[in-house]
Amino acid sequence: MITETLTEQKVSFRPIAENEPEWLYDLRIRAWNYFQEAEMPSQVEHLWKYTKPKWFMPDGLEQKMSVLPVVSEIKDEEIAPLKPEFAAFGCNHGDRVTYTQLSDELKSSGIIFEDIQKAINNHGELVRKYLGQLIGYDFGKFEALNMALFNSGMFLYIPPDMELGKPIYMHRHPDDKYNMPRLLVIVGDNSRATIIDDYAGKSNDKPYNANSAVEIFGGQNSQIRFVSPQNLYKKSRSYVTQRARIGRHARMFSIFVSLGADVSKYNLGTILNGQGAYSQMLGILFGDDNQHFDHHTMHHHKAGESFSNIDFKVVLKDKALSAYTGLIKIDENTLNCEAFQENRNLLLNKGARAESIPELEILNDQVRCSHGATVGPIDPEMVFYLKSRGYSTDDAVRAIVTGFIEPLLKSVPDDLRQMMQNMVQFKLRNGTGE
Amino acid sequence: MSDKKTIFSFSDIHVEVEGKEVVKGVSLDIKAGEIHAVMGPNGSGKSSLANALAGHPSYEITGGKAIIDGQDLLEMDATERALAGLFLAFQYPLAIPGVTVANFLRAAVKARHAGDEEALRSFRKDLKEKFKLLEVDQSFATRYVNDGFSGGEKKRLEILQMAMLDPKIGILDETDSGLDIDALKVVSKGINSVASDKNGMLLVTHYQRILDYIKPDKVHVMMNGKFVLEGGPELALELEEKGYDWLKAENQQAVEV
Repeated sequence: MITETLTEQKVSFRPIAENEPEWLYDLRIRAWNYFQEAEMPSQVEHLWKYTKPKWFMPDGLEQKMSVLPVVSEIKDEEIAPLKPEFAAFGCNHGDRVTYTQLSDELKSSGIIFEDIQKAINNHGELVRKYLGQLIGYDFGKFEALNMALFNSGMFLYIPPDMELGKPIYMHRHPDDKYNMPRLLVIVGDNSRATIIDDYAGKSNDKPYNANSAVEIFGGQNSQIRFVSPQNLYKKSRSYVTQRARIGRHARMFSIFVSLGADVSKYNLGTILNGQGAYSQMLGILFGDDNQHFDHHTMHHHKAGESFSNIDFKVVLKDKALSAYTGLIKIDENTLNCEAFQENRNLLLNKGARAESIPELEILNDQVRCSHGATVGPIDPEMVFYLKSRGYSTDDAVRAIVTGFIEPLLKSVPDDLRQMMQNMVQFKLRNGTGE
Repeated sequence: MSDKKTIFSFSDIHVEVEGKEVVKGVSLDIKAGEIHAVMGPNGSGKSSLANALAGHPSYEITGGKAIIDGQDLLEMDATERALAGLFLAFQYPLAIPGVTVANFLRAAVKARHAGDEEALRSFRKDLKEKFKLLEVDQSFATRYVNDGFSGGEKKRLEILQMAMLDPKIGILDETDSGLDIDALKVVSKGINSVASDKNGMLLVTHYQRILDYIKPDKVHVMMNGKFVLEGGPELALELEEKGYDWLKAENQQAVEV
């Protein structure tokens, strides 16, 4: 655990980077003021019932204010060539090194994939149009902090009518210095892309407190597959807010795999903003030791005939805790929507704990909607059955856990399934790094 | 017969469930090639005995000895007992959602026949063969273990597992219950094909009808946690005819005397 010494610090704001444009400076000032003035979220509010807000107040704000973002200093020859299986690769690493690579065939395609600080300078108007539209400076106290201070991240713009056969791989590795990342993704009308947002940290990091904001825009008829494995250093705290908004007949398929961090609080949502939009969310969470997970998902239907489904599976052992709240929100005039939500929790021993709270805000009655939640211990009869066939106790538990997750993995597209399986199996065998 | 070696034996076995003694000192000796039947009314302790022998953690063996192929069974946990060659066909097989029959069996065969390259190499072929033997569809392989299976399918899968694992002692806990006559024939055929002069079988059953298809060498009648009567296959027929009540009465008297 990180020591809890911090009290709210009053620090006067100054520009993050001297060369940032005026509009961003204004935005940061507003965000900073909002952050300063906003109360800490109340733990009476259900979304904070299980997690203390002060855990996410970073140490050394004063120092953070003085850390200027460094726009990629890395030389081309220092970068390993792009792996052939990816359309593009981006790296946000410790020491604020950021670089991005596009495959040769995409270099003149109109795709923009850059360090967000670079994009602010190179494509200011485009960034400005989208930045903060889904997670504004007034979204919440910690979101304001990110907006005021984000000092790294990536910007991805895919123009309309493009189909990327291979995934775009982003490796984001926060550390003790570099931990206010922001991701901005825009996928144009009719375009298709797979994006892997690998949010991970090595085990020899110093403890840190990361605050990430991710905004994703899917145009009409776009198809986005967004895969977010989280395997952060186990002594870190992670606060993530992610919002996607998709247009008419767009399809969004998002997968979350939560394995790492000491404390993680995730607010993940997709807004179905156009007729016939479709969102499928899958979540796998595997916690052990004293890990504390607090996940909130939201599907907001703002247009009729839209479809959403979430399947969130949690496996906990030792003294790990998971709190899950899942909100389905259907607006008043959005008829004929379908929304499904399921959260199942498997507890491998007595000390583990899971809470599951479904929430429905359905403002019309022409909908099809269902939700389900279960929390249960591993069945000792199942363990005995497997042992009676020669399985060791560990293998029996592993088989039951694998089986518990299997139906969810089945709905993962073939090309992504192996990666997911590997991550889960690795955690099952080795836990997360110390 | 008497020169054959004992493959499985236990003596004076006592079993407790939640502190209550349900098996009160039973003994038997199964030689290679023998099939024994344990019969008795509901609640007599038959299933408790079967589960305890297999190492179920809720069934505590509080006294007695059990030897499998020369090894002390009671020193072993459920996994080790399985690896030593004990197989329990469950009365109520558990569903393991998300684990396919093929993967489940591959892991089990790998554990049971560790180091036996041949067993692993011929796994697919063997599996196919056993599917045929138990008259189940090939699609069984990709279904999740017992998940959504009918009663009959579950029992077939139990015997299929036994056939794949080639145990030294097969303990069949009410394998005949819930089977229609056709399924009973198929399952019996499966059991007979596994039974050989190298292993032993212990059939635990309420009814004698499975014994029409599987000929036991010995029949033990269990009542109130004890073997109260032992005999040859004719005993099963007698029980079928007369039921268990007369034995109950007799046994009751014995207790009273």
